[in-house]
Formats: sequence, structure tokens, C-alpha cells
Amino acid sequence: MKHTTSTGPHLVLLTVYAIFVLAAGARSLVQIATRFGDAPLAYVLSLVAAATYVAGWFAIRRAAAGSPAFAGVMLWVELAGVVVVGTLSLVEPDWFPDATVWSDYGRGYGWVPAILPVAGLIWLYRRPAEPRSQT
Amino acid sequence: MLDPVAWIVTGYAVLVTVAAVVGVALRAPRPRWLDQLAWMLTVLAVVLALVALAALSEGTRPESMSTYLGYVGAAVVMMPLALTSIREDRGPWSSGVVAAAALATGVVAVRIMMVR
Repeated sequence: MKHTTSTGPHLVLLTVYAIFVLAAGARSLVQIATRFGDAPLAYVLSLVAAATYVAGWFAIRRAAAGSPAFAGVMLWVELAGVVVVGTLSLVEPDWFPDATVWSDYGRGYGWVPAILPVAGLIWLYRRPAEPRSQT
Repeated sequence: MLDPVAWIVTGYAVLVTVAAVVGVALRAPRPRWLDQLAWMLTVLAVVLALVALAALSEGTRPESMSTYLGYVGAAVVMMPLALTSIREDRGPWSSGVVAAAALATGVVAVRIMMVR
């Protein structure tokens, strides 16, 4: 969980992303290793969620250092994942014999998976603009 | 033995979370005593881990051993990693990092009780 040196709300975002890398990654790896056949789609989607959190962590770190383009893409991708998987888990429950990280919009994790990309986008668009270099 | 210790860890984690959130709300630099509260939570998490491992030796067989051990390990390492990441930053938002790690430690303590 090494952070950029500049302080700000992104420190909290980075911490929560790191926790979710651990939570989603460990969960999906254990499920895939021990009972993949029970709910392959759900377990693969949990692994995708973990990969998204890894990318999100790097994206916020880069944005905090002055390169917001990657975060502008990744946070929307993450939000789309939560909305699509969350909706599918409600309208097509048969597709998900076991829950994914994003099932029911992240209800199993206190809806933090749905709140996190929104909080990230708010931070991204409200953070102070980088000062232009004077040449 | 596991339940009382886990509840103590959970209650103390909530206390640390509230103290850290107040620090963020007041926009105050992270006080030294918040670090000490956070390290004390780590000590309690280590005690919880030892009790959880002792429960295994006394015959407790969780449904998923890997999940159980994963939670035990996470409870111990989360706060030290968080504190290390903000070692050189005493800004108000660094208290938010402590709040997030403390809350996660409390949740993991509850999960240990649920999966054992």
C-alpha cells in the first residue's frame, strides 16, 4: 500500500482499493482453486473484479501524480461492471449459483463496491487542476 | 474464547475508526495518539489470531480452512501496512487511511466468528 507523497482524499481511496484487491483477489482465487465447477461465471467475475481493483489502484495513484487519463477510463469501467453484474444478478439469479463481489451491487461488502467508483469519480473531477509549467 | 476476543477487537476497531473519522472531519494533522490506538488494535488482532489458531488445535474445523486462515492473516497485517504507507504523511487525510484499515480489521474479526 505504498502511496504517493502528496496528501489528500486519494489516500483513503487507495487504502480501500488495496483492501478490495486483497478481499476480492483472495476470495476469487480460493473459489477457483477449490470449487470452480460450482459457479464458474461468478468466480471468474470475482477475479475480474479483483483485476479491476488492481487497475483502479494504479489509476488513482497515477491521477494523484498528475496523469488522470487512465483513472478516467478505469473508474467508469469499474462502475459499469458493478451496474451490469449487479443488475444481472437480480434479473437472472440462475446465472449466479454463488455470489460475486459485484452481486446485488456489492451488498455482501456493504455496497462499498458500488460506492467506490462513484467516490473515485467525484474525487477525480473535483481535485485541483495541476499547475501548468511555465516555459 | 474466540467470540469474546473477536468482539473486543471489533468494538475497539469501531472506537479507532470513530476517532480517526473525527480527525478527518476536524482537518487536524494526524495525532501521535491515533497511531498508538492503531498499533494497540494490531496487538489485539495478534491476540485474536493466536486464539483463532489455538481453536484449530482444540478441534475447531471451519468449513473453509483457507478462508479462515486468510481472515486471520488479514486481521494481523492490514493495520501495519496502512500505517507504513502513511509513515511520512501526517496530513488530515492520513487519519482516513487509519479509519479505513481499522474498520476493515473490525469487519474481518466479525467474519472470523462467522466462518469458523
